[in-house]
Amino acid sequence: MTSMDGVPDPTAGAGSPPATAPATHLDGGLVRRWIAELDQRLRAAEARLTELDAAIGDADHGTNMTRGARAAMAALAEHDEDTAAARLVAAVGHSLSRSVGGASGPLYGTWFNALGRSLPPELPATAMELATALGAALDAVQQLGAAELGDKTMVDALAPAARQAREVAGSGADLAGMLRIAAGAAEDGAVATIPLRARRGRASYLGARSEGHQDPGATSAAIVLDALRDAADA
Amino acid sequence: MIQSVDRAVAVLLELQGARRLRLTELANRLSLPNSTVHGIVATLVTRGMVEQDASGRYALGPGVLRLSNVYLDSNELRLRALSWTEALAERSGCAVRVGVPLERDIVVIHHVLRPDGSHQMREIGIDIPAHGTALGKAVLAFDARRAEELLAAAPLPKLTGRTCVDGEELAEQLARVRDDGIATALDEAILGESEVAAPIFDAHDAVVGAVGIVLSSSAATGDRLINDEVRRTAVSISRELGASAWPPRSRPRTSAGS
Repeated sequence: MTSMDGVPDPTAGAGSPPATAPATHLDGGLVRRWIAELDQRLRAAEARLTELDAAIGDADHGTNMTRGARAAMAALAEHDEDTAAARLVAAVGHSLSRSVGGASGPLYGTWFNALGRSLPPELPATAMELATALGAALDAVQQLGAAELGDKTMVDALAPAARQAREVAGSGADLAGMLRIAAGAAEDGAVATIPLRARRGRASYLGARSEGHQDPGATSAAIVLDALRDAADA
Repeated sequence: MIQSVDRAVAVLLELQGARRLRLTELANRLSLPNSTVHGIVATLVTRGMVEQDASGRYALGPGVLRLSNVYLDSNELRLRALSWTEALAERSGCAVRVGVPLERDIVVIHHVLRPDGSHQMREIGIDIPAHGTALGKAVLAFDARRAEELLAAAPLPKLTGRTCVDGEELAEQLARVRDDGIATALDEAILGESEVAAPIFDAHDAVVGAVGIVLSSSAATGDRLINDEVRRTAVSISRELGASAWPPRSRPRTSAGS
């Protein structure tokens, strides 16, 4: 996996082909780069996610997510090199729902599963197809969690990302460009959860005491999308 | 009903919900003139039930903590439950909660943390809509009037996508709870958390609350051993409270004293 983890290879000669053109489609290779990037990002963010979760939850979100990323990497390794993006994304969902635990397991499992089911089954996905799938994945998560925008959950990051993706894909943006906008919207959405009062999940037990803390689920959701943006830009 | 007492309680409940309010905000929420509300909060401030912060906003005062501690220390159900719930947590490896009904909610009055040393939120004092938790279903199954009122209060709120909010389905669930004394909830209050609970009865054979465990939804539920442990705990607590049978053969229509 060392060729996928984003560390520049010092042995690469000047004559090697540039592997850095922004992606135009979501194919199996991009899914693998996405999850490898996500694995690294979550490990780097584990302490922060745990700290955020300690304020309004059970302080296990960081470890739950890194465990999930490891399981997702292992699941991808079991698939053939030429497996389609849709199938890989669904496999990630399946492994997350089994390994993450808590509320994040079923929620991220559902998000990736619905994303995978909505992507074209064989061919790489265009920007518009990915934008549509991001909308379907959001719907599935909202159905499972009964959360609306502003309830201080991962929906606060995923919903603006899906909406922005659809808008910019509709106006003809390429995949990497669309993901830059979507990941930015997710990050803004996560930060915007700080003043909100939690209305779903364990944090809702705290009522007003949940105000003033960034939601750990929205934070990790923004990381998921930023890892995809990064992989697509590479 | 004594109007001034009722208004004083309404002030306390508004402050419980909003945490900090200015006088005009309080008055607006209660639809009362500023002068009336000012008289009430000023009285509550002198008795320590409300305090005013540096910016002039009102919040609950330390007197409330004294009251709530006395409630916990003198609540007979909680006292009787202490040792039994500790034992249940040890045997099951799960968190254990005892809840009592309050209006349409269950208020958690005792919480034994999952005995694995992990960081966990303390849940004493939280309220959960009764239909969304196994504790609530255990109570509702044996309190027909409360259940009727709740089912009539549609639409019930969804806490997750799996909260049962359909009146007919909920009534069927409650009938099954009456059959074997065990109420369950799967991802209904919080995703990833499941519960098994059983009702607790007092000397009048009226349901006064429920005891239940919280387990990860990925762990097996419907486990007969777990159900037996929870049932046994509820029977033991009920017996200490003076209940003649569990569940009572002839159920009173409503809980005594409520």
